[in-house]
Amino acid sequence: MDEPARNMLKLGFGLIAIVLGLALNILGVGRTDFLFDSVGNWLMYIGFMTLVIVLLRKIVAKKKVVDERMEYVSAKAMRITFLALILISFVLMIVDGISPITMPYYMFLSYLICALLIVLLLSYKILLRFFY
Amino acid sequence: MKLSKNRLRECREKEGMTQEALAQKLGVTRQTIISIESGKYVPSLQLALLIAKAFGTSVEGIFGV
Repeated sequence: MDEPARNMLKLGFGLIAIVLGLALNILGVGRTDFLFDSVGNWLMYIGFMTLVIVLLRKIVAKKKVVDERMEYVSAKAMRITFLALILISFVLMIVDGISPITMPYYMFLSYLICALLIVLLLSYKILLRFFY
Repeated sequence: MKLSKNRLRECREKEGMTQEALAQKLGVTRQTIISIESGKYVPSLQLALLIAKAFGTSVEGIFGV
């Protein structure tokens, strides 16, 4: 997918998230004790941040060279992340079996996604710097 | 896979080209040129053809297995 199409997709996602968030807030749908007070607020926040990041990248960011070596390393990093997901899931199953995890589902998934992003970033940087 | 023959550095130095200049000519980063020269990374067929074209030779003249 080329750059303009990717940007349009991101902008579309941002706008849909904002509209959906507004609709949920107006209709009064969604929990009120959620991370951002309500699901609607959270969706609007995500949509707004997406729009800001896309626009800032368009205005400020320099043209970055992404070559085949980076793509190769990124594919390797994704494989490592996938393996990490399986391992983390396995460990969580055991931990949950020993002592049930009681945190809210959205918090749990937020932590899991953050952990996976950290694994992806670290594995990419380490592979790029030391192995390829 | 390891390359048994890698004459990229030799060809580049013969042309009096810096790693940065070659990277710009090929549309890759300088780190990629360093990795290929040190044998850490094996270039794709497309990149190998571009490298060969940049030095006016064949792929076999630079790389070999």
